[in-house]
Amino acid sequence: MSEVQRKKYSDKEKNSIFDHEFMPHIDSMYNFAFRLTFDEDDAKDLVQDTYLKAYRFINSFEKGTNAKAWLFRILKNSFINEYRKKSKQPSKVDYQEVETYYNSDNVDYNMTSDLRVDAVKDMLGDEISNALNSLAVDFRTVIILCDLEGFTYEEMAKILDIPIGTVRSRLHRARNLLKDKLRSYAENMGYDTEEE
Amino acid sequence: MDNENTSNKRKLNCNDESKCFELLESILDGEETPGSKELLNEKLAKCQPCFEHYHLEKVIREVLKSKCTKHLVPAELKDSIRQKIQEIK
Repeated sequence: MSEVQRKKYSDKEKNSIFDHEFMPHIDSMYNFAFRLTFDEDDAKDLVQDTYLKAYRFINSFEKGTNAKAWLFRILKNSFINEYRKKSKQPSKVDYQEVETYYNSDNVDYNMTSDLRVDAVKDMLGDEISNALNSLAVDFRTVIILCDLEGFTYEEMAKILDIPIGTVRSRLHRARNLLKDKLRSYAENMGYDTEEE
Repeated sequence: MDNENTSNKRKLNCNDESKCFELLESILDGEETPGSKELLNEKLAKCQPCFEHYHLEKVIREVLKSKCTKHLVPAELKDSIRQKIQEIK
């Protein structure tokens, strides 16, 4: 977020902000952390670190403003700076996703035309979840922020430190990749019930 | 197109898919601009590709929201955070 004037909160005010403005977002924060790290312990550490940083820098948070976006930004930065390096996910998954996208030329819209609304509705939670998890982290992140957490493009731009136009295009690409995945699941469902 | 009498049916081709789909996605994301609701209704009523794209995008958002937010926070996490805060105070 933009630089805000530093406050000087009393301990009582700090606790009140922490309890009433920060802690209510812990479910969303944990879900985000888990989908970034794919590991329960890493997710816990990431959320805990984020809350400790939030407390330490609470004077740069303006009471009553968008705490959720502020916390998500801290979490995202912590992830990039500390967890991404030691992430247990091999980077080749991300690479392959990006490749798939960039090799797809401009067939953007046609390639998902055979994905049906009913097929998506019939999918299991695991399939949806796996499809989301299979996306490269940058694509996965925008979908989480937008579709799961309901952030606006403007909030996402601030959380991710990127222009709104980039949010929009990244989201669009992410959605196309996701639809690709869902389509391949749908095709599998349609052929046979036998697992591969 | 080839038959003017089918004006109550949706056209099967969209003349400007990229732009239309971008607009539809923005609206689904809650990024509305003045007049976008009216434009949306018009597209959905008149254009089959827009109609299909809108509903597919809509259902994907719905399943994501209903099926990907169910990771329960480990019970000890909140306590652990509070304890750590006490330590740095």
